[in-house]
Amino acid sequence: MEKDEQVKMNKELKIIGKSERRVDAWGKVTGKAKYADDYNVSHQLIGKVLRSKYPHAKIICINISKAEKLTGVETVLTAKDIPGAKVFGVVVKNQAILAEDRVRYLGDGVALVAAVSKEIAEQAISLIEVEYEPLPVVSDPEEAMKPDAPVLHDDKNEFVHHHVQKGDITKGFAEADFIIERKFKTQFIEHSYIEPEAVLAEPSEQDGIKITGCVQNLFSTRRSVASMLNLDLAQVQIVQSTLGGSFGGKDEAMTLISCRAALLAMKTGRPVKMVDTREESMLESYKRHPYVLYYKWGAKKDGSITAMEIKCIADGGAYASMSPFVTWRSVVQATGPYYCENVKTDVYAAYTNNNYTGAMRGFGSPQVNFAIESMMDDLAEKVGMNPLEIRMKNGFETGAVTATGQELTHNVSLKEVLTKAAAASDFEKKWKRNREAKSDEKKHGIGLACSYRGVSLGAEGTDAAETIVSVQTDGSVIVSSGITDMGQGAQTQMSQITAEVLGISMDRIHFLNTNTSRVADSGATVASRGTIMGGSAAKNAAEKVRITLLEVGAEMTGDAVSDLDLLDNYLINIKTKKPLASFNELATACFNKGKPMVSHGWHHSPKTSWDERQGQGEAYFTFVYGANVAEVEVDIETGKVDVLDFVSVHDVGKAINKGMVEAQIFGGVAMGIGYGLLEEFEIEEGIPKQANFDEYLIPTSMDVPRIKAIIVENEDPTGPFGAKSVGEPTNELAAPAIVNAIYNATGKRIYEIPANLERVLLGHKLTRTGKRGLEQKEIEETDSCKTRGNKL
Amino acid sequence: MKQFEYFSPKNVVETCALLKEFENDAQILAGGTDVLIELRKSSVKPPRAIIDINRLNELKGITETESEIIIKPLTTHTELGSSSSIKKHARLLHIAAHVIGSPQIRNRGTIGGNIMNAAACADTVPPLMALDATVKLLSVNGERIVPIIDFFIKPYQTIAIKNELLMEIRFPKLLDSMKSMFLKLGRRNALAISRLSVAAILRKSDSGLIQEVRIVPGAAFPKWQRMTEAEKILVGQKPSKELFIETGKRVSEAMISFTGRRWSTEYKEPVIAVLVRRALETCQ
Repeated sequence: MEKDEQVKMNKELKIIGKSERRVDAWGKVTGKAKYADDYNVSHQLIGKVLRSKYPHAKIICINISKAEKLTGVETVLTAKDIPGAKVFGVVVKNQAILAEDRVRYLGDGVALVAAVSKEIAEQAISLIEVEYEPLPVVSDPEEAMKPDAPVLHDDKNEFVHHHVQKGDITKGFAEADFIIERKFKTQFIEHSYIEPEAVLAEPSEQDGIKITGCVQNLFSTRRSVASMLNLDLAQVQIVQSTLGGSFGGKDEAMTLISCRAALLAMKTGRPVKMVDTREESMLESYKRHPYVLYYKWGAKKDGSITAMEIKCIADGGAYASMSPFVTWRSVVQATGPYYCENVKTDVYAAYTNNNYTGAMRGFGSPQVNFAIESMMDDLAEKVGMNPLEIRMKNGFETGAVTATGQELTHNVSLKEVLTKAAAASDFEKKWKRNREAKSDEKKHGIGLACSYRGVSLGAEGTDAAETIVSVQTDGSVIVSSGITDMGQGAQTQMSQITAEVLGISMDRIHFLNTNTSRVADSGATVASRGTIMGGSAAKNAAEKVRITLLEVGAEMTGDAVSDLDLLDNYLINIKTKKPLASFNELATACFNKGKPMVSHGWHHSPKTSWDERQGQGEAYFTFVYGANVAEVEVDIETGKVDVLDFVSVHDVGKAINKGMVEAQIFGGVAMGIGYGLLEEFEIEEGIPKQANFDEYLIPTSMDVPRIKAIIVENEDPTGPFGAKSVGEPTNELAAPAIVNAIYNATGKRIYEIPANLERVLLGHKLTRTGKRGLEQKEIEETDSCKTRGNKL
Repeated sequence: MKQFEYFSPKNVVETCALLKEFENDAQILAGGTDVLIELRKSSVKPPRAIIDINRLNELKGITETESEIIIKPLTTHTELGSSSSIKKHARLLHIAAHVIGSPQIRNRGTIGGNIMNAAACADTVPPLMALDATVKLLSVNGERIVPIIDFFIKPYQTIAIKNELLMEIRFPKLLDSMKSMFLKLGRRNALAISRLSVAAILRKSDSGLIQEVRIVPGAAFPKWQRMTEAEKILVGQKPSKELFIETGKRVSEAMISFTGRRWSTEYKEPVIAVLVRRALETCQ
């Protein structure tokens, strides 16, 4: 093994770092890729859900008799038909698969129907009679934490309180020359995956169940289905279909639909297909947490920060979901990558009758980054520095100790990414010029933001993954992993790593979609851990196979193993550079000699720690660093903001595939622009106001500018070939960079995102009166172009 | 389960007969960019009949006479936007056609559908009103020609009765001395519903004085209208920024006097004035 490592170290990388074609590209562009809704079997039934009528109510009774009698209806089920666990949850098990005695938000399911057609299923749904007793609604997390608020679960709505404490903030504020105190607010946003939730559940031969669907976290879905049906994990098989996007969104949302389809399938003994419409998806699915953030910093005239006191309240919505973990990342990263000896951070999450909130690309960082990076610019303004200077003054360097007491021993490249972003955008010159520009109808602004981000799960929990590499007798290779590909390119990077180690070209590799019965529980593909975990496991597996192949090669040729290498689809002698056998011949020989050509690789992350009581610990085993610069044009008479140019710099450790890293950066910035300027899923008194993409606005290609992606590579020993993370870091900085750019243009700071027309022009949001989105009534109003109701 | 009868008539006579037969319970299908979406809504009761008029070639195309432009209702926004006649003789309509929806919607959506659907944010209507367009309607009872200014009652409601078919839209060509502009403000740069819009036409004399002006805001009033009061203060005047600012204010006042103060007024009040000013400035 050691010898083998040495050989590789001397080798020039052939595939790693190259923009190899994605292994899933061909199927996707030709239409051959099978998404969840493309799976159909004979005799399948269609399942549909009856959802709540109120955001908060007691269920008095459910009458299913009319629905049951409808011809073509096979079964109608309610919570009482669930044989096992009626609730699920990754951290706190309190989310109802079907509401039993109480509904807690408008997306709650109350009853299920399986019928021979979608139309009949829908008709049956309309025949189910539910009597409710409406309860008081709480729709604001701060209200929900007050003693007299309606309580959703147990005895109080506050269900998370994480804290971090370092030094003494009283002393820190006393040392300060001045104090900056600000309140920020962020919004609910929708993941906006292009493919809504869909599954096909089939009863299997041995009293188990097989579910094929667009599931992001197959292993937690399997756990929930098994415990709901009282089955062994081995009896439940979850097969991943090609995913049409997820962004963290196809976790609990998919567990829910999987459980429901499985329940219908087990009750009827027939396959059941369930597909959400976009309206159902938006109504039911979880969103990014809205935060209220109170930031108070003490600082000296030289720009150094003496104290930070931070309080954040996250709207958890109706169920716990990932809130405990999302808010934990917030508490760890709430101070940003900046030196400060005295810190007190408290992050809370509270239940409300809103959509529950959970994982979404960024996972608790976009909210705090918006506040931190706005504060940093305010601080710069106060002490007469520019945004780059203030960050270079306060920013972490290698050896820095974070707010949680963790010493950063890896290469802390914050200043490198900042400097590169500023240089590529000519930041300082433009920033000064914009400030001095005379008043005009349209003003230009440039804004900077940076961040550090803990890689993978950190002290959230067990962090390990499996990848299997199986060489076939003809030299082709099958790779599979517990890490799922949802479009981010996990399969391609694991293929590249495998190809690199085995010295073969990419066209030999075939990647299988994840199947819980064929790979080990590898945790969820979240937290930007796909490359570092799945990739490390792939490297580990491929290296084991490689050793077997070299040993067989040595037997075949009589050369010493140490003289052999695999290169460009051949077994070669390192000294003579002579090809000795093709990879195909080697594979056949290996088979004929009865040697194992399959190997599983396992990767377990380095140790992390967390002391919840002290609020201190080695939160993550390594961190990544990024910086964004946005250039905007602000129409100061209408509030319209156009992003004109963008520079995004990320230290990814090592880019396994340059093209894919750039694509992650482009996509992350585009999503970040939506977060900063456009997107807002509005919920009033528990009622969502947007039902589809006509009213929930995400950026179009016309709203996304040219983006310059700059990849920085400081290889990290914890990742395969030095690679770290890229998925989420790219999505957590655009909004503050844009808001800072707006400030540079207008001199006015936006404290609540999105910075839409009204907030930029008037400084505050305007709230529409009258119902929208769901049950639309005809409104005689010029603002309601899409709410014409029963016109037809 | 939604059920309806589907017809695809081959000519106008057949279409009118079907419209008569189903009286108030037929829906004409042109581009389908609104109808198909409405049909999906569970709260919407479907009509008894969908009458697809896409086979009626006589309702397609743009023609011009010496003094007029005639647009048939099945003309798509893409066709409208690429017509050299429209570009030359009705520039504001050319601009409007380019900012509707997205390329996909412009390829499907028709000018006739935009008018008959009558959403307050319909982008072709303010230009057509500024152009003094008329619409021709046909039914088994005969045809009638209505000035577009008298055509709309309120959002999603026109004076056309259910058995009438829109046959054509007609307006006088703009004179070379007439400059025109359509400005649209949306929340994003494509696929945006107009938050506000303004169509304007301005004609100056050789001496540089304003001789004629027409201003029609969009998405501002429940019923489109010419800003006659605001237009008056411009006629006979020399164009200036101050004058255009004043005109904008008048339009804003007219809007509020009509709609009252509502949730969006705080934003629309200053912004409609800005758009009017900008539209007039770019009409020079």
